[in-house]
Amino acid sequence: MSKQMVCSCEDVTVDDIRHAVAKGFRDVESVKRFTGFGTGVCQGKSCLSAVAALLAKDKAQKPEGLLPFTPRPPLYPTELSVLASLPVDETQAPVGGMFEEMSVFPPVLRPEAPVPKKAKVVIIGGGILGLALAYNLSLRGEKDVVVLERGYLCAGASGRNGGGVRMQWGTSANIELAKRSIELMGRFARDMGINVWLRQGGYLFMAKTKAVAQRLERNAALHNKHGVPTRLLTLDEARDIVPGLTLKDAQAATYNPQDGVIFPWPFLWGYANACRKAGIAVETFTTVTGFEQSDGLVRKVKTDRGDIACDTVVVASGAWSPEVAKLAGVKLPNEPHRHEILSTEPLKPFLGPLVSVLDSGLYFSQSMRGEIVGGMGDALEPAGLNMGSTLRFVSRFARALTEQLPNLGHVKVLRQWAGCYDVTPDNSPVLGRTPGLENMLQLSGFVGHGFMMAPAVSERMAAWMTSGASDELFTRFSLRRFQEGKLEREDMIIG
Amino acid sequence: MRRLPDAAARGKSITLELEGESVPAREGEPVACSLVAAGESVLARSIKYHRARGPYCFSGACSHCLMRVDGVPNVYTCRVPARAGMKLERQNAYPSAKVDVFEAIDWFFPKGLDHHEMFAGMPVAEQVMAKVARQLAGLGLLPDAPAPARMPARIVRVRVAVVGGGAAGLAAAHTLAARGVSFLLFERDAQPGGRHLTGALEPDAPALPDTSALPPDSVRTRATAIGLFDDAEGRFLAVVVESPEGLQLLRVYAERFLLAPGGHPPMLPFENNDLPGVYSGHAASLLARRHGVAPAVAALVGSGEGLYALARLMEAQGTKLAAVVDLKGPVPASAPAGSVRGGAPKAHGLGSVSALSYESESGRRVKVACDAVLVAVGPSPSFELPRQGGAKVEFDEAREVFAVVADADGRTAAADVWVAGDVTGGGSTAQAAAAGQRAAEALSRELAGGAS
Ligand SMILES: Cc1cc2nc3c(=O)[nH]c(=O)nc-3n(C[C@H](O)[C@H](O)[C@H](O)COP(=O)(O)OP(=O)(O)OC[C@H]3O[C@@H](n4cnc5c(N)ncnc54)[C@H](O)[C@@H]3O)c2cc1C
Repeated sequence: MSKQMVCSCEDVTVDDIRHAVAKGFRDVESVKRFTGFGTGVCQGKSCLSAVAALLAKDKAQKPEGLLPFTPRPPLYPTELSVLASLPVDETQAPVGGMFEEMSVFPPVLRPEAPVPKKAKVVIIGGGILGLALAYNLSLRGEKDVVVLERGYLCAGASGRNGGGVRMQWGTSANIELAKRSIELMGRFARDMGINVWLRQGGYLFMAKTKAVAQRLERNAALHNKHGVPTRLLTLDEARDIVPGLTLKDAQAATYNPQDGVIFPWPFLWGYANACRKAGIAVETFTTVTGFEQSDGLVRKVKTDRGDIACDTVVVASGAWSPEVAKLAGVKLPNEPHRHEILSTEPLKPFLGPLVSVLDSGLYFSQSMRGEIVGGMGDALEPAGLNMGSTLRFVSRFARALTEQLPNLGHVKVLRQWAGCYDVTPDNSPVLGRTPGLENMLQLSGFVGHGFMMAPAVSERMAAWMTSGASDELFTRFSLRRFQEGKLEREDMIIG
Repeated sequence: MRRLPDAAARGKSITLELEGESVPAREGEPVACSLVAAGESVLARSIKYHRARGPYCFSGACSHCLMRVDGVPNVYTCRVPARAGMKLERQNAYPSAKVDVFEAIDWFFPKGLDHHEMFAGMPVAEQVMAKVARQLAGLGLLPDAPAPARMPARIVRVRVAVVGGGAAGLAAAHTLAARGVSFLLFERDAQPGGRHLTGALEPDAPALPDTSALPPDSVRTRATAIGLFDDAEGRFLAVVVESPEGLQLLRVYAERFLLAPGGHPPMLPFENNDLPGVYSGHAASLLARRHGVAPAVAALVGSGEGLYALARLMEAQGTKLAAVVDLKGPVPASAPAGSVRGGAPKAHGLGSVSALSYESESGRRVKVACDAVLVAVGPSPSFELPRQGGAKVEFDEAREVFAVVADADGRTAAADVWVAGDVTGGGSTAQAAAAGQRAAEALSRELAGGAS
């Protein structure tokens, strides 16, 4: 069949690019995500200019708006075994990070038309939480909503995460929310007309120390109480699930077959499309710059495209939430922490579950496209909005991964990137009203699991906002808890 | 593709094992070169549509030549040197790359495929699709065995780190050497020289600089820069060096980074541009000049001086030119006879190229028989490393490429990142060499002046 290939690694045609443009994806980063061009083995070397030329020719984008997508390291596919050879001083905090192209969004990408003059609800942040909330508000009849996003959809943590979804948590609240979310994810394609490729291959946790093993055992019992079929595994049973897994130093392992992975980007697009269909404005490349306040209320949200008068404002700005809240004089306890992640060359399916070592925060899974996607926390990572990539991370990760699956040593890393966790003192979210600024609502602090919690939390929040009925979620996780010392500790955070 | 008469002189005769059959090769040449010279044009099947793929770029910048080599998946056969007894397998094909039943997918989706919306909302189809999609996804199979232990990573410190041993990088190296500035040059290829050795040179191209005049050990070959990172000690280049002892990772800290990595051969979108037998101009000149392999009858499409330089080179190798189609024009007076202005090229052939058609200036469709289509367009600047270092990159509308923004001396928006050669947009060999020299001179002055 005759075709004009633009990206021959991922079989993306000229028609595919035009289809993306017709769907409203006009900047290079978005076209890349929608079509998959540039995400294959050549990492964009042979296709990027051709795509830009096509966008220029079709007048899909202004010439100054044609910016290359961030060139992710490594420049050429590089074996995990080679990256693992770099010694890392674990007593020193990570410093630096590669220049991140899209951390500043060029004004030329900003739409020229002004934003709506007023709206009942203004949501700041077009990540998964902001979009899912807007969508759920529309389901409840509230369509006078504007979502403001400073970049393209997927610019924040929601476009940078590992797509892991699991019910194995350490608190009842999180277990229940995750259960509901995964149920909604299973229906997402039918409800929203877009595939998110939920694959329930399970999560296999392991613990290397006694203390962590006890935590796993305790939590497994809690899962069962909530009807989640988590099982404690013997190491042999774990190896049956993941052939070749060494389980080095493992003391215990748990497995819930209903956990899984999802492809993050279409999840955002699905919500955004449904919002737009309902008449909700989703404004990309639009930055909130301040607030107009009087009498303990926010009156207007100021943006670089004009001001919007509103009744309610929701801070759903992920790791940027403290920065946004500060514009209104509100101090949030959240801190952004860089979290790095990588993806390898695509392999035929061999790995069922997402595997995680709870002690080190190592996690890895195989995406629907066949890539190994994984990350690992760095306990010494300092606070800050840093999304730069480091060699330190790939080296630590490569070592930890090949220790568990030695046959991956020859597997090549295709790209690494980073996002920010939105970390709170008790690893639990900040939800509900703001003391002293009653019409500012908080929807942040989801650390490393906001993606999977979004469907369920936003459903509850929309119901709470529109019905006026109380919901303990928004009291339990309110900002007040930090003053009152009622922390809600979650001990199953990874990464 | 066929071997030119002087092939015997180009290395020892060996055999490779392709799925149980032996294939003749010359030791040390890229495996993909051995395969196409032996008439094996289909090396792989593409990821989604299972389209037949043969090598295109010979530069590690596409994915057409990926094969399983000695149990390791997704290996760039355009870069791996042939060794006797190497085991090669085609990937992502069932039952074989020549007869692949999944090729049907290509016909189901004549224009392209929106996997986001496909079957979404159809309860059963969607679930079946998810299972099928997972099985179809991916390219190679998991490696057979763990990787060998790698050599310990090393730290290297030097005043100037040069990336790229082409015209720009080598000219820079000579200038730095003359000024007594210590430097290390990293070249991905087995030999420095870049297009001096592998390109279709313009008539005014300077001679290959003599690398033996450079300080001992200042040029590292088979050394691939994979990123420009930073850490507590400052900016460093991560380099993977391949030697007989194995692979080694270097962290190279330098006061200045002079980046002259050239460009990648781009895909030019046209009908069937991925058909085996369509080669980048870079591939054609490299195969002909370095490995003595060339098509018998070739049709060239492209634009600019590079198109005609390639036409002259191929003619000199005894390749018959079925057509030289200039997509931008006008055709210069010095062009080889038969060169025409044309548009809308299309490659034809079942499994591999047998013809090229294009629209002539009069609007007529012209079809010529050939066994290879050569795409001669300017390189896509390899802006990645400079960009990672903070240099600005802009889209050059005339050339239709992204290029690094730099002043005449190669200074970028980042004080320690300098560039020269094709990375700023592309030009002649002489221009690249001059740019390398200028950048090295300006940078040496700066270093001597103590500015940092
Ligand atoms: C590497 C990594 C891996 C992860 N893995 C998982 C996982 O496997 N599973 C999981 O559930 N979660 C995971 N997470 C966490 C998850 O991604 C986040 O919790 C979730 O995406 C948060 O969604 P959000 O909408 O709050 O934030 P974001 O997606 O960050 O959205 C906030 C948005 O606000 C915008 N914004 C900021 N400032 C302004 C302003 N002034 N004006 C307008 N807009 C503004 C930002 O551009 C951003 O798009 C991971 C996170 C990272 C970084």
